[in-house]
Amino acid sequence: MTLPYDRPQTDRQKAIAQHLPAGESLLLEYLQKLERHRQGRRAVLARLSSLLPINRRDQHVRIAISTFEPMIKQLKGQVFALSNADLIFIFKEVALHDVESAVVKLRFMFSEDPALGNEGIGKRASFFEWYQLERDYDALLAMAQRMLDDVTEKRTQAKAEAAPQRVAPKPQRRGNALTPSMLAKLEDALGGADLANMMRRQAVCAIIGKTDPQPVFHELFISIADLRETLLPSVDLASSPWLFQQLTETLDRRVLALLNKHDDSTIAGDISINLNVQTILSPEFLVFDDNIKTATRGTQVLEIQKVDIFADLGSFLFARDFAHDRGYRICIDGVNMESLPFVDRVKLGIDLVKIVWSPAMATGQLPNGASIEDYIRRCGASRTILCRCDGQDAVDFGQSVGITLFQGRHVESLLTASQKQRSLFARRR
Amino acid sequence: MNIPVPGGDGPEIVTQESLMLGAAERIARIRDGRVAVQMHLSRLRPQNRQDGHVRIAMRMLEPVVNAYRGQMFLLGTSDIIFLLKDPAVADVNNLIYKVRALFSKDPLTFSDSGDGRDNFCSWYDLQDNDGYNDFLSMARDATAAARTRAREKTAAKAPPQPMDAHGLDRLLRGLAEADVAALIRRQSSMVITRDAKAVTLFQEFFVGMADLQRTLAPDSNLVANRWLFQHLSETLDRSVLKTLANLALTRRPKAISVNLNISTVNSRTFDEFESRILGHTDLFVELQILDILADSRGFYDAALRLKDRGHQVVIDGLTEWTLQFMDVGQFEADLYKVNWSPDLVENLHRDAIAATIAAIGPDRMLLARCDSEAAINWGLNRGIDRFQGRYVDAMLAAYTMQMCDKAKACTLAQCTARHAVISGPLRTECGNNDMLDSSPVMLAPKARNRQGDA
Repeated sequence: MTLPYDRPQTDRQKAIAQHLPAGESLLLEYLQKLERHRQGRRAVLARLSSLLPINRRDQHVRIAISTFEPMIKQLKGQVFALSNADLIFIFKEVALHDVESAVVKLRFMFSEDPALGNEGIGKRASFFEWYQLERDYDALLAMAQRMLDDVTEKRTQAKAEAAPQRVAPKPQRRGNALTPSMLAKLEDALGGADLANMMRRQAVCAIIGKTDPQPVFHELFISIADLRETLLPSVDLASSPWLFQQLTETLDRRVLALLNKHDDSTIAGDISINLNVQTILSPEFLVFDDNIKTATRGTQVLEIQKVDIFADLGSFLFARDFAHDRGYRICIDGVNMESLPFVDRVKLGIDLVKIVWSPAMATGQLPNGASIEDYIRRCGASRTILCRCDGQDAVDFGQSVGITLFQGRHVESLLTASQKQRSLFARRR
Repeated sequence: MNIPVPGGDGPEIVTQESLMLGAAERIARIRDGRVAVQMHLSRLRPQNRQDGHVRIAMRMLEPVVNAYRGQMFLLGTSDIIFLLKDPAVADVNNLIYKVRALFSKDPLTFSDSGDGRDNFCSWYDLQDNDGYNDFLSMARDATAAARTRAREKTAAKAPPQPMDAHGLDRLLRGLAEADVAALIRRQSSMVITRDAKAVTLFQEFFVGMADLQRTLAPDSNLVANRWLFQHLSETLDRSVLKTLANLALTRRPKAISVNLNISTVNSRTFDEFESRILGHTDLFVELQILDILADSRGFYDAALRLKDRGHQVVIDGLTEWTLQFMDVGQFEADLYKVNWSPDLVENLHRDAIAATIAAIGPDRMLLARCDSEAAINWGLNRGIDRFQGRYVDAMLAAYTMQMCDKAKACTLAQCTARHAVISGPLRTECGNNDMLDSSPVMLAPKARNRQGDA
């Protein structure tokens, strides 16, 4: 499940997003503010997390949130989307009837799901939980605190996967080496697996000076960490970089198939996906291209790995020209400071270069002694993305050499913080 | 596109070609305003007309076919033919131009037939009697050819399938039991000296992929999946090094060359191999661009380490495209191996290649896969004096036979084949292994046609 307050897709959703504070920390903050205003307020928790994965995709959560929209607009309540997909709506008693009808709508919407079908059987918690703040305030506050702690802990655990890992993770001594037979089993399993709940999106943002990050497009990718945890927890993927590369190629095709299957708004807006040259030349891509055309077409970026480009330049050039003709932009992915000198963006006719941040870049020099700043100038400031920015030092360095586009865990948290501010501001008004 | 209907009336095989012929015959009396266009994709280089390329070309042409009540046919040769009614010629030309641009990396699209005709696409004015008859006879020929192909196809064996992870797993199991020495191939490279002699620069040892495939995976294409092949090559590296450490040749080569992955250079297997040859054999280590890009950091470490120990770092597998798109000089290698291809001569690449040779220096270039005198000649005319390939193999065999007292019993092809192996029946058949392992000094080939560039 991705964060439900993803980049809004329509004006309507944008309007919702204005009223949509972010997750657990906002819930806690909000509850604390209500300490003296408990009277006449209630809350309802919708356990979307207990739905089957196919019923709690992005679009479902978005629709569920929109059910509360009229009341939010009338300033009768606030909805909080938690990272496990659960929703909490805190509202004034005057809206009780509206809330009850919203709950009916949601029940109807998910009525096919066992979570609602088996509700109340045995010791199962009910799908909707009601609270009166006057009575349950302390319990709610404790729950919010606990949820925030859980999320923080999970985030720390998931540190390694925050950035889209197109390159094998750092060597871990633990775990078995990935072997061809394991890869074969994994690929067989992937053929039938529903990867929708492992799909992630991460924003590539423009950050100029100290201003808030502005999302330029969102990268869609499959979380390798989730995949590993689900399908082969004991395997060290870094042990065989080429087999890992083969795996990512299979995953990229699955993402394409997934996007082709769902005619939802996932592919609308400004997105980027990882593809390899052979996939761009495949029938599946032509289907994707048709779908994209019917969806409201924003900027579509195709990210191609550097090794894939140089492995067969002839095919790459063909795919590049075709993609350009169809209006896609091409981004070369997986470039680190060691391979940077070999990537001539202009010669390759590529639109964007994605450079993997490393603290070693702080010297300002490439391994061949050339200046990074010169490289960025030649490449074009608006053509370079610094990715895997884990901390402010990455953004600071990038800005110092003229980079304006950033991606990574740190950028996500800056983005969340700015959205939070905006929503607080909106509420105050 | 028209989909052939199987099991139509009679024994006639329904093909795109026969459908096209049918369409051509149907319009015999209603030819007003009709034209046909043939895109000669069959004339492209095979690597440029794979399924994906052709599919995209058809996709690009769809709008115009739909707009002018057209029909499109994809022939078995990869040619695309479409019929249109009253088209706006500018629209059609516009699209054809786009498709041509997609294939602009192929010599076909920019080469000149000399008589002003377009090699890439032909128009048939069907309104005109001659034009219609030309089209009809082309369609008839194509239909007949397709029928022949279909018949041959049923008789032929299915082509090997790309190796998948299951196949790689089986192959690696098989490899553990296999006699790797029997799969190792040898090829010499030569360098031309100042006194117009050609002497052996090194003997390269590698696993013959065709032999490996035949022996261990006859039904799969080992090189079709690039990533799995790379993984396989890491295993092969270790097998080759182990075999070479105990190489039993009658004469020890002065210099040998091996193709290695960066990960192998940093392995214990390499250290052991190195200790066996140190002091008496010079070592060239060939590294692949793909591997270097995947692990650039590892490359710098490995290159430094190899140079420290006095070995030569070779960048292998450079093509006209890599030279054009990459500043390969930055690898700071001792030798750059460029694969010969007739495309090197094309105008499209000429400047980039000249610039690369000038930047790196011709004495650090080796022209590989020289299978003809033309290849050697092209290199010589550019100041390159290091060569490898089938042409060099034949030269070496010819000189060997000239000096070999057992030569009367053999042909040049036999001698060439025996040079290429290091064990097995082919080698034992040779009456003079000593001669086989010798590296005779040859007369340097002379550059011809210095102006002509061909």
